[in-house]
Amino acid sequence: MSAIQLDVSPASPIIKQKGEAIISLQNVGVRYKQRGGLFQKSQYYQALKDLNLEIYRGETLGVVGRNGAGKSTLLKLIAGIIKPDSGSITNHGVTVSLLALGAGFESELSGVDNAILGGMLLGYRRAQIEARLEDIREFAELGDFMDQPVKTYSTGMRSRLGFAVAMYMTPDVLLLDEVLSVGDQHFRKKAEAEMMKKLHSDQTVLLVSHSEDQIKRVCDRKIAL
Amino acid sequence: MSQDNISELSQEAALPPSEKVVQWALAAMAQQQWALAAERWAVLRQAYPELPAVWIQAGACCRHLEQWETSQFFLETAVERFPDNPYALLELATLEQARDRPVRAGQLLELARQRFPNQLPVLLKSADHALDQSDDTVALAYNSEARKKYSADVTPWVQYANIAMRQQQWSVALERWSEVRQRFPQHPAGYNRAAEAASQLGDDRKARQLLLAREYGQEWLESFEKPEEDLQILDNKISPPTRRHWLAFIDLVWTKARLNLKSEANQNHLRYLWWIIDPMLYMAVFYLVFGLLLHRGGGGDFIVFLLTGLVPFQWFAKTVQQSSNSIVAGQGLMHQVRISPLFFPLVGVLQNTGKQLPVFALLLGFLTLYGLPPNIYWLAFIPIVLLQFFLMAIASCFVAMLVPFVRDLSNLIPTGIQFILFCSGVFYSPDTIPEQWHSLFFANPMANILYQYRRVLMDHQWPDWSGMGWVLLGCLLAGVLLLWFYKRVEGILPRVVV
Repeated sequence: MSAIQLDVSPASPIIKQKGEAIISLQNVGVRYKQRGGLFQKSQYYQALKDLNLEIYRGETLGVVGRNGAGKSTLLKLIAGIIKPDSGSITNHGVTVSLLALGAGFESELSGVDNAILGGMLLGYRRAQIEARLEDIREFAELGDFMDQPVKTYSTGMRSRLGFAVAMYMTPDVLLLDEVLSVGDQHFRKKAEAEMMKKLHSDQTVLLVSHSEDQIKRVCDRKIAL
Repeated sequence: MSQDNISELSQEAALPPSEKVVQWALAAMAQQQWALAAERWAVLRQAYPELPAVWIQAGACCRHLEQWETSQFFLETAVERFPDNPYALLELATLEQARDRPVRAGQLLELARQRFPNQLPVLLKSADHALDQSDDTVALAYNSEARKKYSADVTPWVQYANIAMRQQQWSVALERWSEVRQRFPQHPAGYNRAAEAASQLGDDRKARQLLLAREYGQEWLESFEKPEEDLQILDNKISPPTRRHWLAFIDLVWTKARLNLKSEANQNHLRYLWWIIDPMLYMAVFYLVFGLLLHRGGGGDFIVFLLTGLVPFQWFAKTVQQSSNSIVAGQGLMHQVRISPLFFPLVGVLQNTGKQLPVFALLLGFLTLYGLPPNIYWLAFIPIVLLQFFLMAIASCFVAMLVPFVRDLSNLIPTGIQFILFCSGVFYSPDTIPEQWHSLFFANPMANILYQYRRVLMDHQWPDWSGMGWVLLGCLLAGVLLLWFYKRVEGILPRVVV
């Protein structure tokens, strides 16, 4: 088990407090069972331990750390997908979403069907996603492919569709797990520009990235797990 | 070798074009290696004495090296030799400024303005000088002149913004840099220097935005600045609720089940036709074996008895079997989006129901052909189907929730279903059971439901409503318990199924 130190430091020289804390984590710990059962002593992997963190309204917070440091676990905790083993998470009445690209895509179904299904899984209502189908087709640059089964898509086309479906999401707190690297170079630039708009509007964003440089470029504050 | 000899040489042997060779010296200047640059200019001066740069730039190098006298010599020579070149005078003024002789510098600039009225470098230099003298009004006047006359040139605009920066008027500077970006979107200063101004104002977010805008372009940046466009964006954005509304949840289950059926059908050539072919073959087999070959129990009656039990039971068996592993199979999705685990078994139940409807239609058709035509009692078929649906939903959700915690259970499920098959009276009538076991037999809800199907379809009677009532009550109680349990394990399940 590794000792996890939390180093909260400003990414830029001037620290500014952006309004009130909207999500607070107190002494949060998460462990995953590695093996064990009826006749064997259980073994656990401690993904997070005694984590304290406040997320402020309007800030862009970068999360860095090596593989297995618990970055994705942290996002899942904040998104409410998993509950911690110890400690508590207080949400002061804000909506939180983890931006998942291509969640629930079915390869036998057409792009349109997948957009509807994926959108609804992310939390859109059916009417909301249906009203945006044309925009999605246009942004993903899929054209007639939109009516073809997703199994005929290239990897890039799939992620373009996934990104186009997800990009309308504006929860109070948006959680991004390495999503700024989709598609080919041209689309990545377009996707990044669209995502940066979110990072720089008044939305609160948590961004997980392997790239320290990216965190430095876009975040108000970073934490290292 | 005297200078004259070199000149002769240069006339005799063709020298490379001067534009190329000056790069050699300019490269050293770009690296601020002033001594090296001065040496290179000296060499070039021998070969190209008629080139203004060799004198003026040498003067500049010497100024950086603080060799005032030498610098002055070069520059004065240049002024004399190239009376049409404004840069000689300007460089000389710069030298005087560097030697802290502002008055002399001012006089030289005055001379430059007389000789080269309204030339851009002269106006810019004059503005700079005035700014050094803290004469902001004069500086702005020269700069405004330059911007008016040379509006297509970036330099006066950059100077305009830089004046505000020097005056530490950061918000004014931000506005002026914005104008630079408008006019010259490719010029880096419009972004970099504006970012400096923004961070001086303490607006780090704006500063980062400006730096990023260099990559993403002015249009991208403007999307934040234009309020009307902002409104349009807001209009287009969707804020998802923290928890799905239950109606939205049902719509999602419905959509997923419908699309799963579509996806399943797409995998075959005969597509939806299989939903008819499969049960028809199945019924044909039973007809062949029990109706024709065995010719059991008065022939026709037994095959009807068997099918009215087997068709609903198969629906139950397939649904529970398929749903039992649904939560484990849905782990990928559960880790990506926040969704109640109820979603997975319910989709399975609905999906199987969709496939069951044509089977029921076939069964009713078969009965009609067999001499049991539709009658008023068939109306009760609908509540029985609904009750079975409810029962299967409860059973599927229950099993699906247990399996992730005790994976071994999934091995027991086929056997369990076999057990229920034999306990539910699919192959035999409850009448054949000893009387004292009847209540125990009907405690099995599937046995109860199959009994009701047969009452309606074979015996032309209304179902035993009280028996159905008990099943419904049991399902309701179990349903409440299950909902409570699912709520408790919602945040735990994704970690159990990793």
